[in-house]
Amino acid sequence: MIVNYFKIAWRNLKRQPFFTFLNIFGLTIGMAGSLLIALYIYDELNFDNMFPDAERIHRINVDIKFGGDVSNLAEVSSPVAEVLQSDVPQIELVTRFRNSGNMLIKKSATDINVKETQVSYVDPSFFEMFGVDILFGDSTSALNEPNTLVLTKTAAEKHFKIGEAVGQSLILNNGDTYVVTGVIEDLPKNSLLRNHGVFLAMTGNEEEKENNWGSNDFPTFIKLLPTAKIEDVQTALNGFFKKYFIPFAQPYMPGITEEQFLASGNYYNFSTIKLQDIHLHSNRFPEMSSNGSIQNIYILSFIGLFLIVLASVNFMNLSTAHSLKRAKEVGIRKTLGSGKTALIKQFLAESGLITFIALLLAIGVAALVLPFFNTLADKTMEIPFSTPSFWLVIIIGTLILGLFSGMYPAFFMSRFIPVDVLKGHANGSRKGGGIRSTLVVFQFAISVFLIISTLVVFQQLQYIQNKDVGYAKDQVLVIQDVGVLGNQQQSFKQQVKQLAHVKQASLSSYLPIPSYRRDRGFYEEGAISQENALQMQSWDVDMDYLSTLDLELVAGRDFNQTFGSDSLSIIINEATVKVLGITPEEVLNKRFTYELGVENPRFYKVIGVVKDFHFETLRNDIAALSMHIGGYANDLAVKINAKDYAATVANIDNIWQKMASGQLFNHYFMEDSFNNTYNAEQRLGRIFITFTILSIVIACLGLFGLAAFSAEKRAKEIGVRKVLGASVGQITYKLSVDFLRLVGIAILIALPLAWYAMNKWLEDFEYSISIGWSVFALAVVLALLVSILTISFQSIKAAIVNPIKSLRAE
Amino acid sequence: MILQLKNLFKWVNSGGNRVFLLNDIDFTVEEGEFISIMGPSGSGKTTLLNVIGMLDDFNEGEYNFLGEPVHNLKEKHRSNLYKEYIGFVFQSYHLIDELTVYENIETPLLYKKHSRSERKAMVADMLDRFNIVGKKDLFPSQLSGGQQQLVGIARALVSSPKLILADEPTGNLNSTQGEEIMQLFKKLNEEGVTIVQVTHSENNAAHGSRTIRLKDGLIVNN
Repeated sequence: MIVNYFKIAWRNLKRQPFFTFLNIFGLTIGMAGSLLIALYIYDELNFDNMFPDAERIHRINVDIKFGGDVSNLAEVSSPVAEVLQSDVPQIELVTRFRNSGNMLIKKSATDINVKETQVSYVDPSFFEMFGVDILFGDSTSALNEPNTLVLTKTAAEKHFKIGEAVGQSLILNNGDTYVVTGVIEDLPKNSLLRNHGVFLAMTGNEEEKENNWGSNDFPTFIKLLPTAKIEDVQTALNGFFKKYFIPFAQPYMPGITEEQFLASGNYYNFSTIKLQDIHLHSNRFPEMSSNGSIQNIYILSFIGLFLIVLASVNFMNLSTAHSLKRAKEVGIRKTLGSGKTALIKQFLAESGLITFIALLLAIGVAALVLPFFNTLADKTMEIPFSTPSFWLVIIIGTLILGLFSGMYPAFFMSRFIPVDVLKGHANGSRKGGGIRSTLVVFQFAISVFLIISTLVVFQQLQYIQNKDVGYAKDQVLVIQDVGVLGNQQQSFKQQVKQLAHVKQASLSSYLPIPSYRRDRGFYEEGAISQENALQMQSWDVDMDYLSTLDLELVAGRDFNQTFGSDSLSIIINEATVKVLGITPEEVLNKRFTYELGVENPRFYKVIGVVKDFHFETLRNDIAALSMHIGGYANDLAVKINAKDYAATVANIDNIWQKMASGQLFNHYFMEDSFNNTYNAEQRLGRIFITFTILSIVIACLGLFGLAAFSAEKRAKEIGVRKVLGASVGQITYKLSVDFLRLVGIAILIALPLAWYAMNKWLEDFEYSISIGWSVFALAVVLALLVSILTISFQSIKAAIVNPIKSLRAE
Repeated sequence: MILQLKNLFKWVNSGGNRVFLLNDIDFTVEEGEFISIMGPSGSGKTTLLNVIGMLDDFNEGEYNFLGEPVHNLKEKHRSNLYKEYIGFVFQSYHLIDELTVYENIETPLLYKKHSRSERKAMVADMLDRFNIVGKKDLFPSQLSGGQQQLVGIARALVSSPKLILADEPTGNLNSTQGEEIMQLFKKLNEEGVTIVQVTHSENNAAHGSRTIRLKDGLIVNN
């Protein structure tokens, strides 16, 4: 019986190649698209899952509101680790990191520097915390001594033969020499450690030794004992403020109590987050690596589901429209004694066969396009062919899909009454017309929704990239790693400034693009109390910083060589003034210090207020910022005034080569770096547009098929009309207008839904567009155009047939 | 007695008027009969045949088939009944285009509890009996009309029904082919199969043992 079902299903498919092609092609696209999305989501959901005991690892966060300034940090102060270890018996291990950013590393004085990102100090417990296997060296002692470091395989191979690395020395660009004590495997691509290659022994870090509860620079991870509950850790953390922070703050804020602190609306709250949750659920500052967002996962899940549902709806539509051809068979089988159930089973076997053929094709298609998708999504995903659970999920999914798609046509067709269909005057396909129309409306509503969403996403990206960020990002070249020049930095800067097309140049490690950052608590002179203490970015810049980046002053003056006292001056931004609740003019000449616990703290006088500029992404609000004249810098920002960038860059390179003796000349344009900040959004945009196009293709396949069958069904009517004198145009119109009406209804349904959903999405941005009517107009025109093209092909084809042909068959 | 219709009515309502398709039909079929139903177009021949075959229902009256009151039976019961005892032959053969000759003949057996080997034996028997062994792997479109009808009859007979209902079995055939089919029916009847056929042709009707004439849903002679 089953064999008979599949046999007849197979022959049916072969007999109607057009119908079969539409069905299988639609399902294949839908399934391949959903498969890719599923892989992407799976990859995102499994971030940091590969670490053994990952479910026992948590990160400590802290939320601070102090003097009107709110910080949500992913780092805590250095001593937190120690007191966690001593106060909370449920904790098995604590590991701190301290990121020191990008560094240049070389083997010996004569060698060329190699650049490493996210060089971090780390506690020796790192190996045990993350279950990192050491390839060479001894993990129990590798990071115990100051000036030792551990490299990943890739980082090690840049300098040594991997087996010979342990015991060798490396010179960092701050001049320190480190001994390699271990080489570890490269860290997994889908973990928060993915960008790390060099780990320095924490014992060598100066800040680590200070009992400073005031600055938060250490990402701190704990591993719980297997039986422990995170709630116990939370309870202990809640007590830390009173137990440790208050005594620490006493010298600077005499008489401070927890009650008084909280009463004035401040808080200092520790919390924890599971390691596996960080990637999708943490949006703090600073994250160890850029995170995904659960919202995007939801959006993509919906798109994946849409694709599958669209393909499935196609199947239902085409099958029921096509049922006239099958009606006779149903009638015969019923008179030969077949029950409804047997027929339903037969049709389900057919839809099962089709979905499984589509599945095989979809896996093939997905495997073929995966490399492109990996580029698009910036991932290294693979189809887990060797994992049994993958096949299990995929086969069960396909069965459900086959059942879901086949159920309606099966019930629809098995209900045919034999006497009617055998007489030939049953019009099976007219009956399902209402439902088919609903399904077409549904499909196009989804497509229009996706078109609008895509347009809005792109407009928002455009807006962000073209928004006035408050500084000059075009025509600014950044020369990296000027730290290697040591005390020749100034002379390099002066020589660059003398070049013909260079307008201005400034040395600083702090730039308004993703760059080095430092956050400090500042206290106003004469009143060191929480009311006027504020958390600010603290940037080291030079005299020419403002003029290089075209930062605009709203009050006061720029740094100036002629004022000898400017080494103790700061310039702050408007956001800071807002936090203080005074006017820019009032803040001038006030003096602040960040030095706590020092006998005679250095006070910095406010000499100017700059207009707010965006130094983080436009997702974030502008935070409080202060700039003062600093010493060491690693970047030289150069403002160029020329069309011929290449020549200027070459000239700078020449100067560099003379001074830096063979070190690599690394440079980039600030605008490019700025644009890179929005890579995640652009990726999302590209993924969006890809799958939107897929969904439209599927919907059009369905419409194409329906138009074909409608034309076929109405062949006689068309013949009669033509004999009576209707023109090709009139008939084409007649055949197309019904479908266009459906598309119109779909548009009406989709517009408000899309408007609502995209406004929700935009709420996430601090700075966003408002959705204009042009987006809707464009979406409507696109949807109509595509559907007219699809339908008219069939309609015209039907309209130009010689009527004798269609009438003779009667 | 195989079946008996008593005071059977079937009507449709058309624009406020009740149009009778079958009007007070009283009719009995005995085992071994070969009955021809005749009458002009629209006289209700096919409707009567469909009612007998339980493919169509009726509005009033009684229908007893092998002692079972069909008018009181549920759909499922009815289909079990005709599946077991009735074979259909159609004017336009109604073979399933996607199935071979062999598979077409096998189809009714699929809906009954027959094992694969039983089915094979039964179909082989039919192919032998109708001399179409050589055509068993061909599809309907590869056969002539007469051959297709032969397959249709083989399919109707394969499950050894008590009654064959034939709706103008020769209507689409030329006279030679038609005559062959009639000869076949006659032979089957002599072997004990009860047959009810609808026909337009007096010639065909002559092969039967009894003729019923219908006009406007009424039996005009019996």
